[in-house]
Amino acid sequence: MTETFQDWGMTYEWAWGLATLAGVLLIALPLMLAVAMIIYMDRKVWAAIALRRGPNVVGPFGLAQSFADGLKVFLQETIIPSAANKGLFLLAPILTFTVALAAWAVIPFNSGAVLADINVGLLYIFAISSLGVYGVVISGWASNSKYPFFSAMRAAAQMISYEVSIGFVIICVVLYAGTFNMNGIIVGQIGHGLGVFNGYAFNLLLFPMWVVFLISSLAETARAPFDLTEAESELVAGYQTEYSSMSFALFWLGEYANVLLMCALNAILFFGGWLPPINWEPLYAVPGFIWLFAKIFLFFFIFSWIKATVPRFRYDQLMRLGWKVFLPMSLLFVVLISGWLMLTRYDCGDAGRVYVSTVPVTEAGVLYRDGQSAANLWDGRCVDDLPAVEREFVS
Amino acid sequence: MLQTIAFYLFATLVVASAVMVIMSRNPVHSVLWLILSFFNAAGLMVLVGAEFIAMLLVIVYVGAVAVLFLFVVMMLDIDFASMRAGFVRNAPLGIAIALVLLAELVLGIGAYRAGALILGTPDGTAAPLLFESNIESIGALLYSRYLFLFESAGIILLVAMIGAIVLTHRERPAAHRRAHQDIGKQVRRNPKEATFNASPEIGKGIDL
Amino acid sequence: MVDLSQYLPILIFLGIALALSCLFVFLPMGVSRLTGSHNPTAEKLSEYECGFPAFEDPRSQFDVNFYLIAILFIIFDLEAAFLFPWAVSLDLTGWPGWITMMIFLFELIVGFAYAWKKGALEWE
Repeated sequence: MTETFQDWGMTYEWAWGLATLAGVLLIALPLMLAVAMIIYMDRKVWAAIALRRGPNVVGPFGLAQSFADGLKVFLQETIIPSAANKGLFLLAPILTFTVALAAWAVIPFNSGAVLADINVGLLYIFAISSLGVYGVVISGWASNSKYPFFSAMRAAAQMISYEVSIGFVIICVVLYAGTFNMNGIIVGQIGHGLGVFNGYAFNLLLFPMWVVFLISSLAETARAPFDLTEAESELVAGYQTEYSSMSFALFWLGEYANVLLMCALNAILFFGGWLPPINWEPLYAVPGFIWLFAKIFLFFFIFSWIKATVPRFRYDQLMRLGWKVFLPMSLLFVVLISGWLMLTRYDCGDAGRVYVSTVPVTEAGVLYRDGQSAANLWDGRCVDDLPAVEREFVS
Repeated sequence: MLQTIAFYLFATLVVASAVMVIMSRNPVHSVLWLILSFFNAAGLMVLVGAEFIAMLLVIVYVGAVAVLFLFVVMMLDIDFASMRAGFVRNAPLGIAIALVLLAELVLGIGAYRAGALILGTPDGTAAPLLFESNIESIGALLYSRYLFLFESAGIILLVAMIGAIVLTHRERPAAHRRAHQDIGKQVRRNPKEATFNASPEIGKGIDL
Repeated sequence: MVDLSQYLPILIFLGIALALSCLFVFLPMGVSRLTGSHNPTAEKLSEYECGFPAFEDPRSQFDVNFYLIAILFIIFDLEAAFLFPWAVSLDLTGWPGWITMMIFLFELIVGFAYAWKKGALEWE
């Protein structure tokens, strides 16, 4: 986009700044629109499964329902309970929504179409989504009321429990991809399944990890069947009980933005993101973002479907699943996958590996650092990986 | 230019929120200021090019350690007034520690032109990165040259885990314990074995 | 190399997201004052309870299990943090690197087995 603005006669800095700003707005605003539509979709799917009609009054097919709801909450009075901790009470929804939006900065929508193409993209998402816990805990504590507080405790323990297994699943994917860059992970999936399918989920070793990830992402976003944080029969409305008006709506928006993010991660990590599902030339004619959106919608449909059909877990069952099933399982798969890759991909072949004694100290500028010989750095590496200068010494 | 602005933004926020950590009366506010401080420190790390360390700072400190802090100050419901009562008694020890820290700071700042520690020059010519990202560089060193330190870290984590369990876990009395649920057993149960029909004679009853 | 110009969009994004959420929280507060829907009463501002005043401090002491879960989470999070650089540098470190990590994981699995055996992972 920078080039377009430059063509209009701007200097590079201005063009870059404007392009970035446009990119940010191009992600943030459609995302909010998407959240509004996805709430509608959620309610429709849920209604259809329960043989009801769902929202059908406002606008054609009830499409404008979410906007009507939005206008309603916007005009409502913001109630701040007198016992609440005012500053923190208002900070909590701000934090929730900011965090939910910010994670989208590194999601690639097409080859090269990513706002921030950083090396540690996946870690950034992991880091930002681990901040989600604060919005919940702060809102529960600042409300100074019984039900929000219980709910916040439950939510915090639940989120951190499942974050552990999500971390290990991410490691499994990264082992295969060899990078934390989101585009790198997607490109690594081209033809991964038998040379035909694009996606890590078509790998026998990674398929179970996808199942773990899908279920963990339900738990991480506190969707049914893990919605113990707002179990209506026990906790009124969960940590948002005391909230009203737009601050209440922000929790919902943030929650759905997080759900969408998790759907996007499912698509990117295991189903090839913006790649077409099958590695077949004509399919690449369809723009990448359409494939990505189609996959996100598919996963969101699965999320709604689960919400409509599966009964809620009990809290001890939830903890047992996270700590006693998913954690050991994902740990085992880290070992299995890395071992398999060591045997197949990282085996050095005939050339073998170098050991310190075989590499003489070199003066070659590139490998010389901190005043120490680079030899130690190359200890145990494949001979084939050595730079040409070094390889001569070894062979 | 932008980097300079960003540096002063992050640095000011780090210092300001660190001051707020010790100035605020409510411990929960203190922890939240601490989180802001960590977050901006991560920003500083990004500025010097240590992106992996920056992400780790957020994941480990903000995402995990501060959550525990928050749990403790929010849920323990500590009476902080009674803790402050010990202030005078512990003051000498506190001052001693403060002096040690101050001495370290003075030494550290005094060493600014000692030289020797050359990590890189502003134009990036010295100390070239061997690998494309610094995660790989860390990995290449940590799991080969520094593996002893790495394994010791593992031992420390093990000790921490066992220590935490020993300190906080206590067996509940048997009377309060919930009956053990064997989900596998429940799933395996089938209706044929679970129920049976019987037609006992009147007055006889059946054995269960 | 680290490309700092890739991080600036993130900073801008964070700023805009923060501005948007502040707008969403504070604008309705202003609007409700203008439309007259802002009308707080003592009853309205009391905390939610089933129709009677709450008779205990809601921020009561909590089950120690929550702390244990948080500590275990820190430990496993750190473990994952050690696995991150390992996962991308396996091609450089080779078998020695792999075996090093297996020893590390073994140490952690011993701790995990201990936690399991002691019932620290049970939730009651």
